[in-house]
Amino acid sequence: MSRTRALSPHARTVLAVLLDAGGQWSHGYELARLADVKSGTLYPLLIRLEAQGYLEAEWQQPAEGGRPPRHAYRLTATGVQLARANPPGHAVPPAGRRREATI
Amino acid sequence: MSAGLRRGLADFACRALQATLPPSLHSWGWAVRCETAGIPDDTKALLFALDSVCGLMPRAVASHLLQPFASLIGDGAPFSEGSTSMTVFDAAMRRPRAVGVACAIGAVVLGLAHMVIAGAPTRYLGVNVGALVIGLTMLALIGRTAPTGRQWTGGAILAMAAALLATALAGIEVEGVLRWVRIGGFAIQPSLILLPLMIVVFSQARSVVATAGIIVAAAAMALQPDRAMAGMLVLGLATLTLLCRDRQSIVALAASVAGFAVTLARADTLLAVPYVERVFYSSFDAHAGAGLAVLGGLALLLVPAIVGWRRDAGNRVAYAALGAVWLAAIMAAALGNYPTPMVGYGGSAIIGYALSLLALPKRAGVHAGVASRTHGETDSTLSDRHLLVGLA
Repeated sequence: MSRTRALSPHARTVLAVLLDAGGQWSHGYELARLADVKSGTLYPLLIRLEAQGYLEAEWQQPAEGGRPPRHAYRLTATGVQLARANPPGHAVPPAGRRREATI
Repeated sequence: MSAGLRRGLADFACRALQATLPPSLHSWGWAVRCETAGIPDDTKALLFALDSVCGLMPRAVASHLLQPFASLIGDGAPFSEGSTSMTVFDAAMRRPRAVGVACAIGAVVLGLAHMVIAGAPTRYLGVNVGALVIGLTMLALIGRTAPTGRQWTGGAILAMAAALLATALAGIEVEGVLRWVRIGGFAIQPSLILLPLMIVVFSQARSVVATAGIIVAAAAMALQPDRAMAGMLVLGLATLTLLCRDRQSIVALAASVAGFAVTLARADTLLAVPYVERVFYSSFDAHAGAGLAVLGGLALLLVPAIVGWRRDAGNRVAYAALGAVWLAAIMAAALGNYPTPMVGYGGSAIIGYALSLLALPKRAGVHAGVASRTHGETDSTLSDRHLLVGLA
Protein backbone atom coordinates (compact mmCIF):
# COMPACT_ATOMS: atom_id res chain seq x y z
CA MET A 1 0.00 0.00 0.00
CA SER A 2 1.45 3.35 -0.95
CA ARG A 3 1.69 6.04 1.65
CA THR A 4 2.33 9.71 1.04
CA ARG A 5 4.76 11.22 3.49
CA ALA A 6 6.35 14.62 3.61
CA LEU A 7 9.80 14.49 2.06
CA SER A 8 12.76 15.72 4.03
CA PRO A 9 15.02 18.45 2.64
CA HIS A 10 17.72 15.80 2.10
CA ALA A 11 15.32 13.64 0.12
CA ARG A 12 14.34 16.58 -2.04
CA THR A 13 17.98 17.41 -2.72
CA VAL A 14 18.88 13.84 -3.65
CA LEU A 15 15.85 13.65 -5.92
CA ALA A 16 16.91 16.90 -7.56
CA VAL A 17 20.40 15.56 -8.22
CA LEU A 18 18.97 12.38 -9.70
CA LEU A 19 16.58 14.45 -11.79
CA ASP A 20 19.43 16.62 -13.07
CA ALA A 21 21.21 13.48 -14.19
CA GLY A 22 18.43 12.89 -16.67
CA GLY A 23 18.38 9.26 -17.69
CA GLN A 24 22.01 8.78 -16.73
CA TRP A 25 23.01 6.43 -13.94
CA SER A 26 24.44 7.89 -10.74
CA HIS A 27 26.59 6.29 -8.06
CA GLY A 28 26.49 6.49 -4.28
CA TYR A 29 29.64 8.49 -3.58
CA GLU A 30 28.95 10.94 -6.39
CA LEU A 31 25.33 11.38 -5.22
CA ALA A 32 26.41 12.01 -1.64
CA ARG A 33 28.90 14.61 -2.81
CA LEU A 34 26.57 16.44 -5.19
CA ALA A 35 23.63 16.44 -2.80
CA ASP A 36 25.89 17.27 0.14
CA VAL A 37 24.46 14.51 2.28
CA LYS A 38 26.28 11.89 4.30
CA SER A 39 26.23 8.34 3.04
CA GLY A 40 24.43 7.32 6.21
CA THR A 41 21.56 9.53 5.13
CA LEU A 42 21.82 8.67 1.47
CA TYR A 43 21.60 4.88 1.55
CA PRO A 44 18.47 4.53 3.73
CA LEU A 45 16.87 7.07 1.44
CA LEU A 46 17.90 5.16 -1.70
CA ILE A 47 16.62 1.92 -0.18
CA ARG A 48 13.27 3.51 0.56
CA LEU A 49 12.96 5.13 -2.86
CA GLU A 50 13.83 1.88 -4.55
CA ALA A 51 11.36 -0.10 -2.43
CA GLN A 52 8.63 2.39 -3.29
CA GLY A 53 9.34 2.18 -7.00
CA TYR A 54 10.75 5.68 -7.45
CA LEU A 55 14.27 4.48 -8.14
CA GLU A 56 15.81 1.71 -10.15
CA ALA A 57 19.18 0.21 -9.37
CA GLU A 58 21.58 -1.95 -11.31
CA TRP A 59 25.06 -3.32 -11.00
CA GLN A 60 27.54 -1.98 -13.54
CA GLN A 61 30.69 -3.76 -14.51
CA PRO A 62 33.93 -1.74 -14.19
CA ALA A 63 35.38 -0.22 -17.34
CA GLU A 64 38.89 -1.20 -16.27
CA GLY A 65 40.01 -4.45 -14.73
CA GLY A 66 40.76 -4.78 -11.04
CA ARG A 67 38.05 -2.40 -10.00
CA PRO A 68 34.90 -3.47 -8.13
CA PRO A 69 31.49 -3.27 -9.81
CA ARG A 70 29.33 -0.32 -8.88
CA HIS A 71 25.74 -0.02 -7.83
CA ALA A 72 24.09 2.64 -9.98
CA TYR A 73 20.79 4.47 -9.62
CA ARG A 74 18.38 6.49 -11.67
CA LEU A 75 14.80 7.68 -11.26
CA THR A 76 11.88 5.74 -12.66
CA ALA A 77 9.06 7.59 -14.41
CA THR A 78 7.18 7.93 -11.10
CA GLY A 79 10.41 9.00 -9.45
CA VAL A 80 10.77 11.79 -11.99
CA GLN A 81 7.24 12.92 -11.16
CA LEU A 82 8.03 12.80 -7.45
CA ALA A 83 11.21 14.82 -7.94
CA ARG A 84 9.43 17.45 -10.02
CA ALA A 85 6.64 17.70 -7.47
CA ASN A 86 9.11 18.11 -4.59
CA PRO A 87 11.85 20.55 -5.58
CA PRO A 88 14.41 21.50 -2.94
CA GLY A 89 13.59 24.42 -0.70
CA HIS A 90 9.82 24.02 -0.89
CA ALA A 91 9.24 21.96 2.21
CA VAL A 92 5.80 22.37 3.72
CA PRO A 93 6.12 23.99 7.16
CA PRO A 94 4.74 22.00 10.08
CA ALA A 95 1.08 22.67 10.75
CA GLY A 96 1.84 24.02 14.21
CA ARG A 97 3.78 26.93 12.79
CA ARG A 98 0.78 28.09 10.81
CA ARG A 99 -1.37 28.48 13.86
CA GLU A 100 -2.24 32.03 14.67
CA ALA A 101 -1.52 33.28 18.12
CA THR A 102 -4.50 33.39 20.42
CA ILE A 103 -5.11 35.26 23.62
CA MET B 1 46.91 6.58 10.92
CA SER B 2 48.43 4.88 7.94
CA ALA B 3 46.66 4.63 4.60
CA GLY B 4 46.54 0.87 4.87
CA LEU B 5 44.94 1.02 8.29
CA ARG B 6 42.34 3.51 7.12
CA ARG B 7 41.52 1.33 4.15
CA GLY B 8 41.40 -1.74 6.36
CA LEU B 9 39.08 -0.06 8.85
CA ALA B 10 36.79 1.04 6.05
CA ASP B 11 36.62 -2.49 4.71
CA PHE B 12 36.04 -3.88 8.20
CA ALA B 13 33.16 -1.45 8.75
CA CYS B 14 31.61 -2.47 5.44
CA ARG B 15 31.91 -6.16 6.28
CA ALA B 16 30.33 -5.58 9.68
CA LEU B 17 27.48 -3.77 8.00
CA GLN B 18 27.02 -6.59 5.49
CA ALA B 19 26.92 -9.13 8.27
CA THR B 20 24.24 -7.17 10.12
CA LEU B 21 21.91 -6.29 7.29
CA PRO B 22 18.92 -8.59 6.75
CA PRO B 23 19.22 -10.97 3.80
CA SER B 24 16.92 -8.97 1.55
CA LEU B 25 19.30 -6.02 1.81
CA HIS B 26 22.61 -7.78 1.38
CA SER B 27 22.97 -6.22 -2.04
CA TRP B 28 22.94 -2.79 -0.41
CA GLY B 29 25.75 -3.91 1.88
CA TRP B 30 27.69 -4.90 -1.18
CA ALA B 31 26.83 -1.56 -2.78
CA VAL B 32 28.36 0.37 0.13
CA ARG B 33 31.40 -1.88 0.19
CA CYS B 34 32.07 -1.61 -3.54
CA GLU B 35 31.46 2.13 -3.55
CA THR B 36 33.87 2.55 -0.64
CA ALA B 37 36.47 0.48 -2.41
CA GLY B 38 36.14 2.72 -5.47
CA ILE B 39 36.95 5.95 -3.58
CA PRO B 40 40.60 6.77 -4.27
CA ASP B 41 41.21 8.82 -1.10
CA ASP B 42 41.65 6.55 1.94
CA THR B 43 40.32 9.08 4.45
CA LYS B 44 37.25 9.84 2.38
CA ALA B 45 36.67 6.13 1.88
CA LEU B 46 36.84 5.55 5.63
CA LEU B 47 34.44 8.42 6.33
CA PHE B 48 32.07 7.17 3.65
CA ALA B 49 32.06 3.69 5.16
CA LEU B 50 31.60 4.90 8.72
CA ASP B 51 28.78 7.24 7.74
CA SER B 52 27.06 4.40 5.94
CA VAL B 53 27.39 2.19 8.98
CA CYS B 54 25.95 4.93 11.20
CA GLY B 55 22.98 5.35 8.89
CA LEU B 56 22.18 1.73 8.18
CA MET B 57 23.31 -0.15 11.27
CA PRO B 58 20.52 1.04 13.61
CA ARG B 59 17.94 -0.12 11.10
CA ALA B 60 19.74 -3.40 10.61
CA VAL B 61 19.79 -3.98 14.37
CA ALA B 62 16.12 -3.05 14.58
CA SER B 63 15.41 -5.58 11.87
CA HIS B 64 17.05 -8.31 13.94
CA LEU B 65 15.27 -7.27 17.11
CA LEU B 66 11.98 -7.51 15.24
CA GLN B 67 12.85 -10.96 13.94
CA PRO B 68 10.49 -12.67 16.44
CA PHE B 69 7.69 -10.77 14.72
CA ALA B 70 8.90 -11.71 11.24
CA SER B 71 5.63 -13.39 10.39
CA LEU B 72 3.89 -10.14 11.07
CA ILE B 73 6.24 -7.62 9.52
CA GLY B 74 8.34 -9.55 7.02
CA ASP B 75 12.08 -9.74 6.55
CA GLY B 76 13.84 -6.42 6.24
CA ALA B 77 10.73 -4.57 7.23
CA PRO B 78 12.49 -1.65 8.90
CA PHE B 79 13.71 -0.66 5.49
CA SER B 80 10.81 -1.55 3.29
CA GLU B 81 8.68 1.49 4.07
CA GLY B 82 11.20 3.63 5.81
CA SER B 83 9.62 3.38 9.24
CA THR B 84 9.72 0.44 11.61
CA SER B 85 6.78 1.57 13.66
CA MET B 86 4.62 2.12 10.61
CA THR B 87 5.43 -1.33 9.28
CA VAL B 88 4.52 -2.98 12.56
CA PHE B 89 1.38 -0.89 12.45
CA ASP B 90 0.55 -2.15 8.96
CA ALA B 91 0.92 -5.72 10.08
CA ALA B 92 -1.14 -5.19 13.20
CA MET B 93 -3.97 -3.70 11.20
CA ARG B 94 -4.45 -6.98 9.43
CA ARG B 95 -6.01 -8.07 12.73
CA PRO B 96 -8.33 -5.23 13.77
CA ARG B 97 -9.97 -7.16 16.57
CA ALA B 98 -6.58 -8.04 18.03
CA VAL B 99 -5.69 -4.34 17.91
CA GLY B 100 -8.90 -3.61 19.79
CA VAL B 101 -8.04 -6.19 22.42
CA ALA B 102 -4.57 -4.71 22.82
CA CYS B 103 -6.06 -1.24 23.23
CA ALA B 104 -8.54 -2.53 25.79
CA ILE B 105 -5.77 -4.12 27.82
CA GLY B 106 -3.66 -0.98 27.52
CA ALA B 107 -6.54 1.24 28.62
CA VAL B 108 -7.30 -0.92 31.64
CA VAL B 109 -3.63 -0.99 32.63
CA LEU B 110 -3.46 2.81 32.38
CA GLY B 111 -6.64 2.97 34.41
CA LEU B 112 -5.04 0.81 37.08
CA ALA B 113 -2.04 3.12 37.09
CA HIS B 114 -4.37 6.07 37.56
CA MET B 115 -6.15 4.42 40.45
CA VAL B 116 -2.94 3.34 42.15
CA ILE B 117 -1.52 6.85 41.93
CA ALA B 118 -4.79 8.39 43.07
CA GLY B 119 -5.01 6.02 46.05
CA ALA B 120 -8.09 4.01 45.08
CA PRO B 121 -8.98 0.95 47.19
CA THR B 122 -7.16 -2.18 46.09
CA ARG B 123 -10.49 -3.95 45.59
CA TYR B 124 -11.24 -1.55 42.73
CA LEU B 125 -8.16 -2.73 40.87
CA GLY B 126 -9.20 -6.35 41.24
CA VAL B 127 -12.70 -5.62 39.97
CA ASN B 128 -11.41 -3.90 36.84
CA VAL B 129 -8.95 -6.71 36.11
CA GLY B 130 -11.65 -9.28 36.67
CA ALA B 131 -13.99 -7.42 34.35
CA LEU B 132 -11.30 -7.34 31.67
CA VAL B 133 -10.83 -11.09 31.93
CA ILE B 134 -14.59 -11.65 31.78
CA GLY B 135 -15.01 -9.28 28.85
CA LEU B 136 -12.22 -10.77 26.78
CA THR B 137 -13.41 -14.28 27.55
CA MET B 138 -16.91 -13.38 26.40
CA LEU B 139 -15.47 -11.77 23.29
CA ALA B 140 -13.53 -14.92 22.46
CA LEU B 141 -16.48 -17.21 23.08
CA ILE B 142 -19.11 -15.15 21.31
CA GLY B 143 -16.76 -14.26 18.48
CA ARG B 144 -16.14 -17.92 17.86
CA THR B 145 -19.59 -19.38 18.33
CA ALA B 146 -22.17 -16.69 17.57
CA PRO B 147 -24.26 -17.33 14.48
CA THR B 148 -24.56 -14.59 11.91
CA GLY B 149 -27.52 -13.30 9.95
CA ARG B 150 -30.10 -10.58 10.27
CA GLN B 151 -32.64 -12.80 11.99
CA TRP B 152 -30.27 -13.71 14.80
CA THR B 153 -28.92 -10.19 15.25
CA GLY B 154 -32.40 -8.69 15.22
CA GLY B 155 -33.51 -11.07 17.94
CA ALA B 156 -30.37 -10.44 19.95
CA ILE B 157 -30.83 -6.67 19.79
CA LEU B 158 -34.45 -7.00 20.84
CA ALA B 159 -33.50 -9.25 23.76
CA MET B 160 -30.84 -6.80 24.93
CA ALA B 161 -33.30 -3.93 24.63
CA ALA B 162 -35.75 -5.89 26.77
CA ALA B 163 -33.04 -6.27 29.41
CA LEU B 164 -32.48 -2.51 29.40
CA LEU B 165 -36.19 -1.89 29.69
CA ALA B 166 -36.40 -4.33 32.58
CA THR B 167 -33.59 -2.43 34.31
CA ALA B 168 -35.49 0.82 33.85
CA LEU B 169 -38.60 -0.72 35.37
CA ALA B 170 -37.20 -2.96 38.09
CA GLY B 171 -33.54 -2.08 38.60
CA ILE B 172 -31.82 -0.66 41.67
CA GLU B 173 -33.18 2.81 42.33
CA VAL B 174 -30.90 5.63 43.46
CA GLU B 175 -32.58 9.01 43.85
CA GLY B 176 -35.18 8.19 41.23
CA VAL B 177 -32.68 6.79 38.73
CA LEU B 178 -32.84 3.11 37.73
CA ARG B 179 -29.71 2.17 35.82
CA TRP B 180 -28.28 -0.71 37.76
CA VAL B 181 -28.94 -4.34 38.64
CA ARG B 182 -27.24 -6.34 41.38
CA ILE B 183 -25.42 -9.49 40.27
CA GLY B 184 -23.11 -11.44 42.56
CA GLY B 185 -22.89 -8.64 45.09
CA PHE B 186 -21.94 -6.08 42.45
CA ALA B 187 -24.16 -3.32 41.11
CA ILE B 188 -23.60 -3.34 37.36
CA GLN B 189 -24.91 -1.02 34.69
CA PRO B 190 -26.40 -3.14 31.89
CA SER B 191 -26.63 -0.23 29.45
CA LEU B 192 -22.85 0.23 29.47
CA ILE B 193 -22.44 -3.44 28.65
CA LEU B 194 -25.22 -3.90 26.13
CA LEU B 195 -25.82 -0.60 24.37
CA PRO B 196 -22.41 -0.32 22.63
CA LEU B 197 -22.83 -3.89 21.41
CA MET B 198 -26.35 -3.20 20.22
CA ILE B 199 -25.25 -0.16 18.22
CA VAL B 200 -22.31 -1.84 16.53
CA VAL B 201 -24.37 -4.93 15.73
CA PHE B 202 -27.13 -2.73 14.34
CA SER B 203 -24.57 -0.96 12.17
CA GLN B 204 -23.77 -4.28 10.51
CA ALA B 205 -27.16 -5.95 10.19
CA ARG B 206 -30.28 -3.80 10.23
CA SER B 207 -33.76 -5.24 10.08
CA VAL B 208 -37.25 -4.38 11.25
CA VAL B 209 -36.77 -6.46 14.40
CA ALA B 210 -33.41 -4.84 15.13
CA THR B 211 -34.87 -1.38 14.59
CA ALA B 212 -37.67 -2.21 17.00
CA GLY B 213 -35.02 -3.24 19.52
CA ILE B 214 -33.24 0.10 19.15
CA ILE B 215 -36.50 1.96 19.66
CA VAL B 216 -37.13 -0.01 22.86
CA ALA B 217 -33.59 0.76 24.01
CA ALA B 218 -34.14 4.48 23.37
CA ALA B 219 -37.30 4.30 25.47
CA ALA B 220 -35.41 2.50 28.23
CA MET B 221 -32.73 5.19 28.32
CA ALA B 222 -35.43 7.83 28.62
CA LEU B 223 -37.13 5.94 31.43
CA GLN B 224 -34.02 5.21 33.51
CA PRO B 225 -33.11 8.10 32.73
CA ASP B 226 -29.53 8.01 31.41
CA ARG B 227 -28.43 11.04 29.48
CA ALA B 228 -24.99 9.62 28.71
CA MET B 229 -26.26 6.39 27.22
CA ALA B 230 -29.04 8.19 25.35
CA GLY B 231 -26.37 10.46 23.90
CA MET B 232 -24.32 7.43 22.95
CA LEU B 233 -27.32 6.05 21.09
CA VAL B 234 -27.83 9.35 19.24
CA LEU B 235 -24.20 9.76 18.26
CA GLY B 236 -23.83 6.15 17.16
CA LEU B 237 -27.00 6.19 15.08
CA ALA B 238 -26.32 9.65 13.63
CA THR B 239 -22.96 8.38 12.43
CA LEU B 240 -24.61 5.33 10.96
CA THR B 241 -27.28 7.42 9.25
CA LEU B 242 -24.67 9.69 7.71
CA LEU B 243 -22.87 6.71 6.23
CA CYS B 244 -25.81 4.50 5.22
CA ARG B 245 -28.88 6.73 4.90
CA ASP B 246 -31.37 3.86 4.96
CA ARG B 247 -34.86 3.91 6.43
CA GLN B 248 -34.06 1.76 9.45
CA SER B 249 -31.17 3.97 10.49
CA ILE B 250 -33.27 7.10 10.17
CA VAL B 251 -36.16 5.64 12.17
CA ALA B 252 -33.81 4.43 14.89
CA LEU B 253 -32.07 7.82 14.97
CA ALA B 254 -35.38 9.62 15.32
CA ALA B 255 -36.33 7.40 18.27
CA SER B 256 -32.95 7.93 19.92
CA VAL B 257 -33.21 11.71 19.52
CA ALA B 258 -36.61 11.63 21.17
CA GLY B 259 -35.24 9.55 24.04
CA PHE B 260 -32.29 11.88 24.46
CA ALA B 261 -34.60 14.87 24.52
CA VAL B 262 -36.53 13.29 27.37
CA THR B 263 -33.32 12.74 29.37
CA LEU B 264 -32.34 16.36 28.78
CA ALA B 265 -35.70 17.52 30.08
CA ARG B 266 -35.36 15.51 33.27
CA ALA B 267 -33.03 16.63 36.04
CA ASP B 268 -29.93 14.51 36.66
CA THR B 269 -28.95 15.15 40.26
CA LEU B 270 -26.72 12.18 41.03
CA LEU B 271 -23.48 13.14 42.74
CA ALA B 272 -20.15 12.04 41.34
CA VAL B 273 -18.65 8.83 42.77
CA PRO B 274 -14.90 8.95 43.45
CA TYR B 275 -12.73 7.05 40.93
CA VAL B 276 -15.79 6.45 38.73
CA GLU B 277 -17.00 9.87 37.66
CA ARG B 278 -15.34 13.24 37.24
CA VAL B 279 -12.12 11.32 36.80
CA PHE B 280 -10.90 13.82 34.20
CA TYR B 281 -10.58 16.41 36.95
CA SER B 282 -9.84 14.34 40.04
CA SER B 283 -6.99 12.45 38.38
CA PHE B 284 -5.03 15.62 37.64
CA ASP B 285 -5.76 16.82 41.16
CA ALA B 286 -4.12 13.65 42.48
CA HIS B 287 -1.07 13.72 40.23
CA ALA B 288 -0.18 14.73 36.70
CA GLY B 289 0.86 11.13 36.02
CA ALA B 290 -2.61 9.90 36.97
CA GLY B 291 -4.18 12.48 34.69
CA LEU B 292 -1.96 11.53 31.80
CA ALA B 293 -2.76 7.85 32.35
CA VAL B 294 -6.46 8.68 32.15
CA LEU B 295 -6.03 10.68 28.95
CA GLY B 296 -3.84 8.01 27.41
CA GLY B 297 -6.25 5.24 28.30
CA LEU B 298 -9.22 7.11 26.86
CA ALA B 299 -7.30 7.86 23.68
CA LEU B 300 -6.56 4.14 23.33
CA LEU B 301 -10.29 3.42 23.27
CA LEU B 302 -10.59 5.33 20.01
CA VAL B 303 -7.47 3.98 18.35
CA PRO B 304 -9.05 0.87 16.78
CA ALA B 305 -11.80 2.98 15.23
CA ILE B 306 -9.50 5.72 13.95
CA VAL B 307 -6.85 3.51 12.43
CA GLY B 308 -9.44 1.07 11.12
CA TRP B 309 -11.28 3.89 9.38
CA ARG B 310 -8.08 4.97 7.70
CA ARG B 311 -6.71 1.55 6.86
CA ASP B 312 -9.62 -0.80 6.22
CA ALA B 313 -12.02 0.93 3.87
CA GLY B 314 -14.21 -2.13 3.50
CA ASN B 315 -15.38 -2.00 7.12
CA ARG B 316 -15.66 1.73 7.72
CA VAL B 317 -19.23 1.60 9.00
CA ALA B 318 -18.18 -0.74 11.80
CA TYR B 319 -15.20 1.42 12.77
CA ALA B 320 -17.29 4.58 12.65
CA ALA B 321 -20.00 3.08 14.86
CA LEU B 322 -17.45 1.83 17.36
CA GLY B 323 -15.67 5.19 17.46
CA ALA B 324 -18.89 7.17 17.82
CA VAL B 325 -20.10 4.98 20.66
CA TRP B 326 -16.99 5.33 22.77
CA LEU B 327 -16.44 8.96 21.89
CA ALA B 328 -19.93 9.60 23.27
CA ALA B 329 -19.05 7.76 26.48
CA ILE B 330 -15.87 9.80 26.86
CA MET B 331 -17.68 13.07 26.17
CA ALA B 332 -20.36 12.21 28.71
CA ALA B 333 -17.72 11.46 31.33
CA ALA B 334 -16.04 14.78 30.59
CA LEU B 335 -19.24 16.81 30.71
CA GLY B 336 -21.25 15.25 33.50
CA ASN B 337 -21.35 12.79 36.37
CA TYR B 338 -21.14 9.68 34.25
CA PRO B 339 -18.72 6.75 34.43
CA THR B 340 -15.31 7.26 32.88
CA PRO B 341 -14.98 4.17 30.68
CA MET B 342 -12.13 1.73 31.25
CA VAL B 343 -9.81 4.07 33.17
CA GLY B 344 -12.15 4.67 36.10
CA TYR B 345 -13.48 2.13 38.54
CA GLY B 346 -16.23 0.02 37.04
CA GLY B 347 -16.40 -3.27 35.21
CA SER B 348 -19.47 -2.59 33.08
CA ALA B 349 -17.68 -0.33 30.60
CA ILE B 350 -14.77 -2.74 30.41
CA ILE B 351 -17.02 -5.66 29.54
CA GLY B 352 -19.01 -3.43 27.21
CA TYR B 353 -15.91 -2.31 25.34
CA ALA B 354 -14.68 -5.87 24.95
CA LEU B 355 -18.04 -6.97 23.60
CA SER B 356 -18.26 -4.03 21.20
CA LEU B 357 -15.06 -5.28 19.59
CA LEU B 358 -17.23 -7.96 18.02
CA ALA B 359 -17.93 -5.28 15.42
CA LEU B 360 -14.35 -5.43 14.20
CA PRO B 361 -13.35 -8.06 11.67
CA LYS B 362 -10.79 -10.59 12.82
CA ARG B 363 -8.83 -10.00 9.66
CA ALA B 364 -8.90 -6.95 7.43
CA GLY B 365 -8.28 -7.01 3.69
CA VAL B 366 -4.99 -5.16 3.98
CA HIS B 367 -2.01 -6.40 2.00
CA ALA B 368 0.37 -3.55 2.70
CA GLY B 369 4.03 -4.13 1.99
CA VAL B 370 3.68 -7.46 0.20
CA ALA B 371 4.56 -6.10 -3.21
CA SER B 372 7.51 -4.14 -2.00
CA ARG B 373 8.90 -7.06 -0.02
CA THR B 374 8.67 -9.39 -2.97
CA HIS B 375 10.34 -6.78 -5.10
CA GLY B 376 13.12 -6.34 -2.59
CA GLU B 377 13.84 -10.04 -2.32
CA THR B 378 13.92 -10.48 -6.06
CA ASP B 379 16.17 -7.52 -6.46
CA SER B 380 18.46 -8.83 -3.78
CA THR B 381 18.90 -12.17 -5.47
CA LEU B 382 19.56 -10.64 -8.86
CA SER B 383 21.90 -8.00 -7.55
CA ASP B 384 23.96 -10.46 -5.56
CA ARG B 385 24.31 -12.63 -8.60
CA HIS B 386 25.40 -9.66 -10.69
CA LEU B 387 27.91 -8.64 -8.05
CA LEU B 388 29.38 -12.10 -7.81
CA VAL B 389 29.69 -12.21 -11.58
CA GLY B 390 31.36 -8.84 -11.47
CA LEU B 391 33.81 -9.94 -8.81
CA ALA B 392 34.66 -13.21 -10.57
